[in-house]
Amino acid sequence: MGPLIDALPFSYTVSVIALGAAVLGLTAGVLGTLAVLRQRTLVGDALAHATLPGVCVAFIATGAKDASTLLVGAGAFGLIGALLVVGLERSGRTRPDAAIGVMLSSFFALGIVLLTYIGSLNQSGQAGLESYLFGQAAGLVERDVTIMAALGLGALAVVAALFRPLKSTLFDADHAAAGGLPIRALEVVMTALLVVAIVIGVRTVGAILMVAMLVVPAAAARQLTGRLAGVLVLAGLIGATVGVTGALLSAQSGLPTGPVIVLVGFLVVLACLLLAPGRGILWRARKLARDRRRLLVEGVLIDLETALHGGPPPTQHELALASGRPRRALRRALGDLERTGALARDGERIYLSESGAASVHAVLERRDLWSAWLEHGWRLELPDAREPDPRDLRASLGDEHADRLRALAAEARA
Amino acid sequence: MSVDEVPVHSGGAPALEVRRLTVSYETRPVLWDVDASFPTGALSAIVGPNGAGKSTLLRAALGLIPADAGQALVQGRPARSALDRVAFVPQRDAVDWDFPITVREVVEMGRYPVRGWLRRLTGEDRAIVDEALERVGMGPFARRQIGRLSGGQRQRVFIARALARQAPVMLLDEPFAGIDARTEATLLDLLRELRAEGRSIVVVHHDLGTVRASFDWALVLNVRAVACGPVGEVIVPQTLRRAYGTDAVNDGAQDGELRWVR
Ligand SMILES: Nc1ncnc2c1ncn2[C@@H]1O[C@H](COP(=O)(O)OP(=O)(O)O)[C@@H](O)[C@H]1O
Ligand SMILES: [Mg+2]
Repeated sequence: MGPLIDALPFSYTVSVIALGAAVLGLTAGVLGTLAVLRQRTLVGDALAHATLPGVCVAFIATGAKDASTLLVGAGAFGLIGALLVVGLERSGRTRPDAAIGVMLSSFFALGIVLLTYIGSLNQSGQAGLESYLFGQAAGLVERDVTIMAALGLGALAVVAALFRPLKSTLFDADHAAAGGLPIRALEVVMTALLVVAIVIGVRTVGAILMVAMLVVPAAAARQLTGRLAGVLVLAGLIGATVGVTGALLSAQSGLPTGPVIVLVGFLVVLACLLLAPGRGILWRARKLARDRRRLLVEGVLIDLETALHGGPPPTQHELALASGRPRRALRRALGDLERTGALARDGERIYLSESGAASVHAVLERRDLWSAWLEHGWRLELPDAREPDPRDLRASLGDEHADRLRALAAEARA
Repeated sequence: MSVDEVPVHSGGAPALEVRRLTVSYETRPVLWDVDASFPTGALSAIVGPNGAGKSTLLRAALGLIPADAGQALVQGRPARSALDRVAFVPQRDAVDWDFPITVREVVEMGRYPVRGWLRRLTGEDRAIVDEALERVGMGPFARRQIGRLSGGQRQRVFIARALARQAPVMLLDEPFAGIDARTEATLLDLLRELRAEGRSIVVVHHDLGTVRASFDWALVLNVRAVACGPVGEVIVPQTLRRAYGTDAVNDGAQDGELRWVR
């Protein structure tokens, strides 16, 4: 760790905190993704809460207050919690979410009782175990970070080595098992990895909010990519970034680390949900608005062509009456057409420029082709499952099929 | 298709055979003492009402759920040790369609057990994956996330994954449920092609009309095996009445076709 710490542009203490937060964010991001994809995030929450009594028991048993000893207790209780959750679920007596809820609250209650008991012992230097509730980045020492990093790298190495079996089990457990994969064992491995991530993070983030570090990076990363490898890598990077930012902010401000990290994470998820290309809410809204506008403009173009066909060039007012479109929409569409040079004007009266006439022609052809597809498409007997795009059928079908489609339509008309 | 066209091989073990199979969830038996066999090189169907245990039969045969009694054989060998000869297409209802995976990656999963789960795929595997995608007409969609497909396209992808497995026996659970007619026709043609290549195919299917018209062999199941044999002998009013209950099936008096009322 030494050289890494020296390389960072911070004081020694801050560098240790930053490194620790990076390690915890990275591992929680990657290993949390596995839980999210199994739809087991609540289990992560229960296991995080189960570590609290573990920390207390370790303290009572050994009297030690260094993080590494206490985390052994946390890990042990995390595993016990995992066994109990699975056992209660398998018993078939309760629904999984109820089983998880029971475990989560019971372990946490036990933790609070033990914390209070330890507080009442009134020993000198009684370890400030309360920081395991909301997390504390300050006070991380280099030795803790080294151990965290070793555990984290080990866990990430397991994920890398088992990538294909894990991917298969996560996506379709039945198919994976039919291919001979021991999916029960892999599920155990994934749960154990989850415990590792929690143990690494619980001191800094706290038992109550640890689940956020497991879920937030996965949720954000999923918005940005549609491939598992990409989600894992991005979740790791996002987790590390969020962890470091939150830990440094909290160390500076004196606020508890867990809530600060989680709030930073929330901002990242929010940004991804809104803005992610192809998936983000705002991104989609913008695309939808653009598509609607294009349809409107095409419609007005055809209205104009129809009016010109039937008589002298219309005024904007006449066009509005003839087409029955709201005036505002019409004005906008005409504005767009004006800008692309599709219109020509003669005083009040509007007609089509040469390029406007060409666009009308193209639009009409596209529409004809689309209705031909709807009516005769099945007769093409396309060799594959391709999906025609109504905006540009010719491109999605290919020229050959498009021409055959036109021929079929013409034949049917004759 | 008439009975004597059924490609039942006189010698050699059946593609899939279950003997005295009993499976229960909790204590309720879902399959009871089921004997059935599906011949090599045939297109076979498993039919029966909802909840008859059709999915359970396939899953128990593959060892995905424990059986109380009985055994399953694939090409004469215990199924658990012959998994490399079987390609399985599970029912699609349990799949998380938002899962971050592309069409191509799904099909590649068919190669993992062949190549070894921890190995990288080779150029040969990639060629096989390409071919499987082409065969189900999903080549143009290889890079698309699986959730952005229609129901029929998803089923094509799952069948491509089974093709990539290159196994002699294929088991498909309700592959035609909830897909469009064109896709169903295309996929049925594909299954016939595969049969012509000598593969043995067992399909859980709910449309008795299609089974009569296109399949060679059928198991009629409702907890017990009601009948198992060539379609012409098995998909008949008596057995269907026993499997589905009396009012579910009418004999079409005029055209001799079975009318199937849900
Ligand atoms: N995991 C399960 N636990 C308990 N009962 C189940 C489970 N899976 C299926 N069953 C029950 O077993 C019976 C057979 O189910 P299944 O094999 O899926 O029928 P099919 O595929 O013929 O519709 C049904 O009554 C169903 O409710
Ligand atoms: Mg079923």
